[in-house]
Amino acid sequence: MNVPIVDPLQGDFPETIEEFLQYGSMKCIAFNRRGTLLAAGCANGTCVIWDFETRGIARELHDKDCTAPITSVAWSKYGHHLLASATDKSLTLWHVVNEKKIARITLQQTPLSVRLHPGGPSTPSICLACPLSSAPILVDLNTGSTTVLPAFLSDNGNLPAPNTRNKFSDGSPPFTPTAATFDKYGDLIYVGNSKGEILIIDSKSIKVHAVIPIPGGTVVKDIVFSRDGRYLLTNSNDRVIRVYDNLLPVKGSGEEIEKISSNNISYESHYEKLKANGASCLAISCELLDAIAKIPWKAPCFSGDSEWIVGASASKGEHRLCIWNRSGRLVKILEGPKEALIDIAWHPVDPTIVSVSVAGLAYIWAKEHVENWSAFAPDFVELEENEEYVEREDEFDLNAYVEKAEEQLVNEDEYVDIETYDKNSTFSDLDDSSSTTMELIYLAAIPIPDTPDEQPDKCLGSSSKLEDSNHSDSPSSLDAVQNGQAIPPASSPMEVDNSTAEEPAEAVNSKRRRRLSAKGLELQQAEKGKKPTTKNKSNGKSPGSNGKQLEPANGNSSAVDDEATEDDEI
Amino acid sequence: MSQQQQAPAPPYRPYRQVRAATPHSRAVSCVRFSPCGRLLATASLDGTVALLSPSSLAAIATLRGHADGVSDISWSTDSFYLCSASDDRTLRIWDVRPVLAGLNPGSGGGGGGAQPADPNADRCIRVLKGHTNFVFSANFNPQTNSTVASGGFDCTVRIWDVKSGRCVRAIDAHSEPVTSVHFIRDGSIIVSGSHDGTCKIWDAGTGSCLKTVIDEKKPAVSFSMFSPNGKFILVAALDDTLKLCNFASGKFLKMYSGHVNRKYCLQSAFSVTNGKYIVSGSEDNCVYIWDLQGKNILQKLEGHTDTVISVSCHPTENKIASGGLDNDRTVRLWLQDG
Repeated sequence: MNVPIVDPLQGDFPETIEEFLQYGSMKCIAFNRRGTLLAAGCANGTCVIWDFETRGIARELHDKDCTAPITSVAWSKYGHHLLASATDKSLTLWHVVNEKKIARITLQQTPLSVRLHPGGPSTPSICLACPLSSAPILVDLNTGSTTVLPAFLSDNGNLPAPNTRNKFSDGSPPFTPTAATFDKYGDLIYVGNSKGEILIIDSKSIKVHAVIPIPGGTVVKDIVFSRDGRYLLTNSNDRVIRVYDNLLPVKGSGEEIEKISSNNISYESHYEKLKANGASCLAISCELLDAIAKIPWKAPCFSGDSEWIVGASASKGEHRLCIWNRSGRLVKILEGPKEALIDIAWHPVDPTIVSVSVAGLAYIWAKEHVENWSAFAPDFVELEENEEYVEREDEFDLNAYVEKAEEQLVNEDEYVDIETYDKNSTFSDLDDSSSTTMELIYLAAIPIPDTPDEQPDKCLGSSSKLEDSNHSDSPSSLDAVQNGQAIPPASSPMEVDNSTAEEPAEAVNSKRRRRLSAKGLELQQAEKGKKPTTKNKSNGKSPGSNGKQLEPANGNSSAVDDEATEDDEI
Repeated sequence: MSQQQQAPAPPYRPYRQVRAATPHSRAVSCVRFSPCGRLLATASLDGTVALLSPSSLAAIATLRGHADGVSDISWSTDSFYLCSASDDRTLRIWDVRPVLAGLNPGSGGGGGGAQPADPNADRCIRVLKGHTNFVFSANFNPQTNSTVASGGFDCTVRIWDVKSGRCVRAIDAHSEPVTSVHFIRDGSIIVSGSHDGTCKIWDAGTGSCLKTVIDEKKPAVSFSMFSPNGKFILVAALDDTLKLCNFASGKFLKMYSGHVNRKYCLQSAFSVTNGKYIVSGSEDNCVYIWDLQGKNILQKLEGHTDTVISVSCHPTENKIASGGLDNDRTVRLWLQDG
């Protein structure tokens, strides 16, 4: 809806910390499909769902069985379910609206990350889990059965143990770490192994169709698709993030790779054939690295529109994000508090990044707010360069205004359609199936009744759960809070908003600072100078306004006094 | 844009008054059908909000708590909550679910049906404090009921988190009192009108000004709202005009006149259940109905004895509610023949 009037020249990656979220000790985060809800897994086993629009807590998913720290959270396609993995080797599937646990499965290895199958029924049943030191596994959440994915090809091209179910009961040795992800529609699974290879596996037949050796040949730590499925990135132990173009069609990738595999027949070994298949599936686009310090990366991902790649420094005590464009040019470095970073997520739509620090806080990075001054006057246009203005001879004649007024209504006979909605093209890929399933975009807010003494500034953080958490982590929590307080001055000089001044008690749940540009300050002062001269006021909505007419004047006087005070402060 | 081929509009069928009620002891300031169509909420300078049956205008509940007059009310999209804007500088969120549950489904609109045990129970669950002067208008985010926008005599547009009661955003929007705020259908932007003669569009997420649609010192903008599809805005000014504007291009497409609007901030409405009409109150004590496309006056509804300050159209039935000021104090129900 905003597209017609949003300034297209503005950049679209974050620049500064806007605020931070605090709830216990958060470990991992994930946005839902629309970016309206943010799920966070906490150290005490709770999943918190933030309403990202109001930055308030919309849901708390907790169960007596779920007390171990959460390692990963994943949303279902339509947002009704949330899957969480924890250090007690468990997977828990939640129903978000009903706050009910639907399924709970215990694996044989601690899963470090989980993803739900993008397709499938409205209640997800298949998920992909990457254990700590084992091959990735497909888990059926309904039956609890697991299928170990092949993570390696042996030297002669054969699979070591194809399609083994519950492999570990055989006593076979575990593999070294792997990373895995579904592609856009879940037809294929891309696995990055510790030999530095990408395997492309059919998610139904569990057959390896292709292999792509990664330059450097080191352990693959992360493998991530962009939201539209057209790009893939890998993060390897050689401290390089590699971006690949996905040469397969986003939809129907399974059929296409079968076709490629059928056509590649004359190769001396099966491995060579799979490599040839791989060359038709992925093409490397660019490599991202810190050429000077060679820092290791953590939790890399794409922006929602696939234009940017963000990677976090994996160095201890460093909260640093690097943003590159897709051709590999570094465009931004974001420095945060001196706390190691453990997870990041880029908003699906907005130029916003959320990063989680080891202290358990989530920092929201957003574009610095720059006022679009031309929006304040309909005929005002900002010029990039000076232009010579040619005055019309009759420009200041009174008749010109009459003509202008008439001109405004020249299209009065045009048909006006006030009912037809525009399709939201950002999410159009849901349209073919959304007729059967309504996507969960927002969680209905149930207002919390005021306390009897009506303290609207009461903090959600005063719940006993948070108190317990604070108590157990008091030293780091104190440090975190201090660092949190210190962030805005360190990042950039900021002014306190009116709302902040009027609600000084607002502290724990969220903090919001916004920088006023010099122009903003000038405009505010100009407005202050202008206001005292304003005397006439039109009537209000009712005859009572005759009586009210006096009070607004008093309000004006009060406002003038307030402004004088603000002037003194400035 | 080329002229679209459209089937001719159905012939106009007149509205007639079917009910009148006086639920308040002072001027009615606002009338609003609930989105589900089962309740009619009315606000008044007597500080109360009344919930009426949309068919019989029988009083179902009275919401008390404001210390001063109420100027505007807004329903959440699910009809579960009602937000009221008051001269006591606060907004209140009322939980209407028990009232809805008390309506007997078997009795259709609820007229004569079972009523909740206590029609005067305290249903206020949240008081939003922060405005420094009268709060003049309020609007629930239609995409979700998690935020409310408000405008007031302190010249600010504020956005509130309904769940916690926190003021999420305070926008120094205008240099004179804000007369109206309205969310677009997906909740991404807000249109505001003001006595300073401007009508502006704000990004609901960042609070930044996206566009100024009207920028005249005179006359004051008394009302503004988005069309149902979010492509146009309807703007009323204190010069007897209502204009339909394409806010993306800034062009005025239609102008509706013939009524009287010089003093009060009259609330207008789109009627879409039969033909497409623009409906507005007037200071000559009538309700005016215009054809959306042709701009001609289709009907003048007479019966009120003072300014008609607010009108509301039923979401599914060809029904209009209107409220009158102190010399009238009635809520009237108009039904289209057929």
